[in-house]
Amino acid sequence: MRVTLVARPRAKPSLPVEAESIIPQNFLRGTDLTVYEGNKERRLEELFFITVEGPAVSPDQVEVVLMGATGRVKRVGEYMNAGRIVIEGDIGMHCGNFMSGGEIVIKSNADAWLGREMRGGRITCMGSTSHNCGAGYRGEKRGMRGGTIEIFGGAGDFAGEYLAGGEVRIHGSCGDMAGIEMRGGLLVIGGTVTRPCGNMTAGTAVVLGHVNRMLPTFQYQGVNDEVWDGKRLKMDVWEGDVANRGKGRLLVAVGK
Amino acid sequence: MSGILVRNAFVIDPIKRISGEVMDIAIRDGWVVEDAGPDPVVIDASGCLTLPGGIDSHTHVCGTKVNFGRYMSPEDMRAGRTARRGVMHVTSGYSVPTTFGNSYRYSAMGYTTLLEGAMAPLEARHTHEEFTATPHQDMLANTLFDGNWSVMEAVRDRDIKRVAAIVAWTLSAVKGFAIKLTNPGGTEAWGWGQDVRGIHDQVPHFGVTPAEIISAMIEANEILRLPHSVHLHCNNLGVPGNYRTTLATIDLVPDLNPLRQSLYLTHAQFHAYGGSTWRDIDSRAEAICQAVNGKPIVMDMGQVMFGRTTTMTADGPMEWKLYMLHHNKWSNHDVELETGSGIIPVYYSRKSLVNCVMWAIGLELALLTNDPWQCLLSTDNPNGAPFVKYPEIIALLMSRRYREQEGTLLDPRTSHRTAIFSIDRELSWEEIAVMTRAGQAKALGITGLGKGHLGVGAAADLAIYPLDPDGIDPAVQVQEVIAGFSRTKYTIKRGRVVARDGEVIVEGANATIWSRSDVPSQYDMGQDPAFTEKFSQYYTVRMKNYPVQEAYLPRGVCIRTEAAL
Ligand SMILES: [Zn+2]
Repeated sequence: MRVTLVARPRAKPSLPVEAESIIPQNFLRGTDLTVYEGNKERRLEELFFITVEGPAVSPDQVEVVLMGATGRVKRVGEYMNAGRIVIEGDIGMHCGNFMSGGEIVIKSNADAWLGREMRGGRITCMGSTSHNCGAGYRGEKRGMRGGTIEIFGGAGDFAGEYLAGGEVRIHGSCGDMAGIEMRGGLLVIGGTVTRPCGNMTAGTAVVLGHVNRMLPTFQYQGVNDEVWDGKRLKMDVWEGDVANRGKGRLLVAVGK
Repeated sequence: MSGILVRNAFVIDPIKRISGEVMDIAIRDGWVVEDAGPDPVVIDASGCLTLPGGIDSHTHVCGTKVNFGRYMSPEDMRAGRTARRGVMHVTSGYSVPTTFGNSYRYSAMGYTTLLEGAMAPLEARHTHEEFTATPHQDMLANTLFDGNWSVMEAVRDRDIKRVAAIVAWTLSAVKGFAIKLTNPGGTEAWGWGQDVRGIHDQVPHFGVTPAEIISAMIEANEILRLPHSVHLHCNNLGVPGNYRTTLATIDLVPDLNPLRQSLYLTHAQFHAYGGSTWRDIDSRAEAICQAVNGKPIVMDMGQVMFGRTTTMTADGPMEWKLYMLHHNKWSNHDVELETGSGIIPVYYSRKSLVNCVMWAIGLELALLTNDPWQCLLSTDNPNGAPFVKYPEIIALLMSRRYREQEGTLLDPRTSHRTAIFSIDRELSWEEIAVMTRAGQAKALGITGLGKGHLGVGAAADLAIYPLDPDGIDPAVQVQEVIAGFSRTKYTIKRGRVVARDGEVIVEGANATIWSRSDVPSQYDMGQDPAFTEKFSQYYTVRMKNYPVQEAYLPRGVCIRTEAAL
């Protein structure tokens, strides 16, 4: 089954839409769903032109396609466990919160908190994402625990904050403090990053580009030969954050 | 306002010695009366257990410490959210909910009176502001004196009358209800990176011991004729082997008041540990109960229930020790010349033997204390568990089978470290009524305000539960007991139905109950040169700005006594 949601023009396009109901499993019971626009509850069809093609008996047979101005539509894919969501344009904050299975493909950019506290499945973002990708929300001690997030562009600050499992791969550059408070998992950054991995206790962070302002609380372990993204590289290996008695590994390409 | 007639209620009222009589209760103008007057609103309570409104004699719901718990735990605020509905505000939070969240959830369980367990005098104004935002319960504040410099100096000088005078001035200045001692001397020592390890250790720089502070305060409390006794959180909370400190403390207590206990031992579970480390910790509940049976002492359980919660106490050094165990976020706070505090979120797990032992000790205390008037139900909310777990605790106390079922989920070593699974006792409805309202009213000394009973002249605070004691066997029908105590059919507060089937239906208007002991003018600390000098020298607040104005207590109820000075 393929459900296509095309955003209708809105009188106040900047009002955020809380759309946690847009997940594949919900469409098995039809399209009679509601979302909030600001503080008003709306039927899904008030905000989207909806077309449904083909049948489905389980959520993994459902593909949801979002088109049009969806940059303010939040929480799409929250708690999804199977199926596929394809977003043709930008997507709002908290896309893929807590998802445990299935796939989300974003053809353009994603706003903050992409895949926050995700447990499984896969998110691919062809553009860039904003802050706190794969992170734990305010006060939470564990962020993403499983699954994969791949970003072909860059990411904002705090990418992979509290990362505890799974993989976050960012091909471009990150802002400040990627991988801080990491508890586990793998964070790979293709480009430049500033002050990575403060307070990390476990897990591995890999920087293929340059590190600005390396924190002084990492212990140097020497140079290793490593293979990342099919490339053989010499990498500096650091362990830390020693300020927190951490045993995380931070690998940085030599000479970048 | 027309009266209310509650018909055919199954009433248990231990103070009036009514144990399961089907009767009518007439209410008018906020009081229980003989006759409800013409055309009363009739509430059919047939087949419903009807008790005086619940009273929590030790909970943390208001004040700076609770608020700090709120803002250091945004994840907790997300854990329990309800939308605006009718007159009910939005609420959020699970272990440290918003004030309205606390008030609505307590009201749904039939609670109409709460005692905030620890108010720092310097921070009283904020506590009273939160009291007015907890509108469905009458509020009382334990006032902290554990590290009070002036008190400790007077104790050192063996001047009990001066101790009493300082307490009288402070209680009336901050509109507090009773004396609270939290790890007496320990929190002050913590200001110097130390703690006290027994009741005969010296408090650095003051030349006094916890035992001297406790004894002096018990005496001063009776000189002031305060309604409640000294409310004590013993030294060495949560330390393996601390039962010895607790027993030594119990030995200090004289019998000074025929109407009530001379000492209230709060959250006794945290003070009943044997062993010497976390590895060999075991239960000493039996020793504590033996010491308490027949003594002028009342304790509350401080039951631990499994799950997420937040610990908060004026016991700063204890919270630091917890931080060293959990390495989670934490806070510590010093309150000038008075006390301190700490907060840390915790998770009590069935997989942790230590946590299983704690769970068992709380229940053992309640089941091994012969007289239910001496061991009241509490979790030291939210330290042992959020108060919404009370119905589960009641069910555990009423059903051996339920305890055994729970036991199968726990670390199997629990049965070697504690006696919980060998205790047959199952508490009766009446004993539960004592442990959740009548006992509290008596221990707090507020039966005279009409609290904790339903006789003519009582405050019309009622909890009508959808539980038929004639039709339910609590030893077997555990889920019915839990569901019944979780949501009253009606909660009546000062003669108004405030909650129905778990929904609050009116705006609340609570009262704050405080104590004032009148002392002769030579004992007025407001005129005492040394005392006023302390303010100008050491406090960040001027003495004249320190007292909480009565405007902060829109419906203050003052219990006035004449000090025997
Ligand atoms: Zn307490």
